[in-house]
Amino acid sequence: MGAKPDEALKRSNGWRRLRQAVQILALLLFLYLLLGTARGGTTFLPHDLFLRLDPLAGISAMLAGRSWIAPMALGGATLLLTLAVGRAWCGWVCPMGTLVGWMPARRPRRSRSDIPPYWRQVKYFLLFTILLAAALGSLTLLILDPIALVFQTVGSVLLPGLSSRIAALQEWLSDIEALQPTVEWFDTHIQGSPLAEQNFFLPSLLIVLPFVVILALNAIRPRFWCRYLCPLGGCLGLVANVAQIRHKVDEEKCKPCQLCTLNCPTGAIDPERKFAANAAECTTCLDCLDICPRGAISFRGQWGLVAQPPQDPSRRQLLGSLGVAAVGAALLWAFPLVNKAKAQLVRPPGTSEEDLLSKCTRCGQCVNVCPTDAIQPSYSLAELEGLWTPMLVPRLGYCDYSCKSCGQVCPTGAISKLTLEEKRRTVIGVARIDQERCIPWAEGRNCIVCEEMCPVPEKAIRVDEQRVDDGHGGTTSVFHPTVKEDLCIGCGICEYRCPVDGESAIRVFPVS
Amino acid sequence: MVQAALKVLGGIERFVKSGDDVIIKPNISFTDYSFEYATFTNPEVVGALTALCVGAGAGRVRVMELPVSGRCEEEYARSGIAAAVVAAGGQMEAMSSGKFEETAIPGGWDITSWPVYRDVLDADVLINVPIAKHHTLGRLTLGMKNLMGVILNRGEFHSNLGQRLADLSSLVRPTLTVVDAVRILMDHGPTGGSLDDVKLANTIIASQDIVAADAYAATLFGLTGADVPAVVAGAEMGLGTMDLGSVQVEEISV
Repeated sequence: MGAKPDEALKRSNGWRRLRQAVQILALLLFLYLLLGTARGGTTFLPHDLFLRLDPLAGISAMLAGRSWIAPMALGGATLLLTLAVGRAWCGWVCPMGTLVGWMPARRPRRSRSDIPPYWRQVKYFLLFTILLAAALGSLTLLILDPIALVFQTVGSVLLPGLSSRIAALQEWLSDIEALQPTVEWFDTHIQGSPLAEQNFFLPSLLIVLPFVVILALNAIRPRFWCRYLCPLGGCLGLVANVAQIRHKVDEEKCKPCQLCTLNCPTGAIDPERKFAANAAECTTCLDCLDICPRGAISFRGQWGLVAQPPQDPSRRQLLGSLGVAAVGAALLWAFPLVNKAKAQLVRPPGTSEEDLLSKCTRCGQCVNVCPTDAIQPSYSLAELEGLWTPMLVPRLGYCDYSCKSCGQVCPTGAISKLTLEEKRRTVIGVARIDQERCIPWAEGRNCIVCEEMCPVPEKAIRVDEQRVDDGHGGTTSVFHPTVKEDLCIGCGICEYRCPVDGESAIRVFPVS
Repeated sequence: MVQAALKVLGGIERFVKSGDDVIIKPNISFTDYSFEYATFTNPEVVGALTALCVGAGAGRVRVMELPVSGRCEEEYARSGIAAAVVAAGGQMEAMSSGKFEETAIPGGWDITSWPVYRDVLDADVLINVPIAKHHTLGRLTLGMKNLMGVILNRGEFHSNLGQRLADLSSLVRPTLTVVDAVRILMDHGPTGGSLDDVKLANTIIASQDIVAADAYAATLFGLTGADVPAVVAGAEMGLGTMDLGSVQVEEISV
């Protein structure tokens, strides 16, 4: 009946080894591009290469922004690859796919999946909803794009979290005298690297949740995300239906041992159809090629459309998905998830609320590159539509007067490329002083660190000298700061440096 | 110019002995602009001092600063000071946050302890090289204010700044203070940003007395030591004198 174990062992592992090597290289490249750009570095390949290769992000951004975005056209290469060899992106390149594939999973004992096959349509539903929402001008749902998701998780959460824990560990260890030289040596060597201390933005932990859930779903089925949910997988799956090189079984050689079925990571092989693989689900991982004891499986050119297997969404079901997606997108549009009554957020220079809504792919490149940790992904419940779009958190980091990196790295131009002169003139907010907490105003002691730090050449904060009793029979000067609202650009270094505990006594507010 | 100033004092050999561990502490903050904007110490001045110390046979010459904003390496490079120092045979060193230690200030009138950089206190020779700039709270930032580069908790330091700078100066006693007044920032300091605020004074002030150096530097702004709270406090504490009549002032032109 089933193959004897040693028969299976005789099979080659050549393709699998190759695929795993390519997956590791792709993941390493992804990490290199992320770490290399973190806080303003440069890489020898485009820093947003993976996003550019992502056709879902590209098509959505061009739809929503109603414009051609040249760098994102590289997504066409992925579509062409899929036309040639099916969902090889998912099986060989996608960093999310690689991580989901490595995550231990529950392997079903039976060859037949007990999850109804129409669950596989969820990814098409998500795909259509994303595209429809994009057509209506909103990229909110790109938080479900796997490249954006994994980049944000690593770049906006894991890397800052790791470096802040390393810094805490350093501080703890340096209390032990014997370890001090080692700690200092380590500290000098990580200075300037992405591991050097970053300020960790606690609300960003929310970004880890979807990532953890996606990995945890493997407890239900291997690569659950790739099979049932991933909208990019859905997009490539649709194209893979007409892929030229496809899985083929030589029925004469096949002795039904079901090794291929049980080992297929996406459960694409159907034993009830003579172990044919569903073209839209097959990620071309070639594991079946390696494992078949009879060599009955091959991947070869097959021209034309393959007959629709039952797993594939029929035309009716696809239209159904489209319909539900249309309703969902229309609801999003009719009841915008923006509470317009509440104040907006402070945004990086060179963007606007409209630009962010329709061009920001939530990719996290700007968050990663910001050298002062000023830019963080928005988590505001008052503005759910803008979830994961960039905002400034001045108490965490100020907008550096000599930096223009965010606009330089934005793949879609949601943040425009500004010259340094333009950036220095761009008003992103205005600072306001809480006189009840500001030290000179409230306590009559001197401070004016805000004025000292203000980088505007004419100083956007003026001070008024007040002579007060010095307690020894004479008078002394106390300087009271006031913001010159016509000069303030909202960079936030005042809020960052204010020595008052807790919330700063001078804060940047968005301008209307 | 630097060499000439030091020659008057007896030459660098008077201060740097063979094998000494020398630390030079310039101002390397606000490097948004080039050195013509007078917001940080002129790289040529730092380079010249480094070369002199190396020439005197110092064991090692380290140049360091904990910038107000930005990271050490970036600020060092962007200011041009790193290039000048390395060319002169010295080395830049990034200040590590782990080396700041809560240090007692026994002579302090306002503060009695503060986190101070250990290496600076341990060095054989400390040369304090500020740039002379306008400063709203401190009136001017000169030698005494430049010492803030070796402490932490700088925000809190600003209440009663004048007295606290004097207290700090009583602990951290630089061997020499060399004020870079080649270009001085007359207004909108310490961040600057406009060439209109820069005056070419073409002056280097060298002294073992930090209070006197600052008092003399004040005159370049049309002020006196009495206008600078830190100088007044320092003089009252006996750290030096602000009475320029009582010190030997050698003005030489180069």
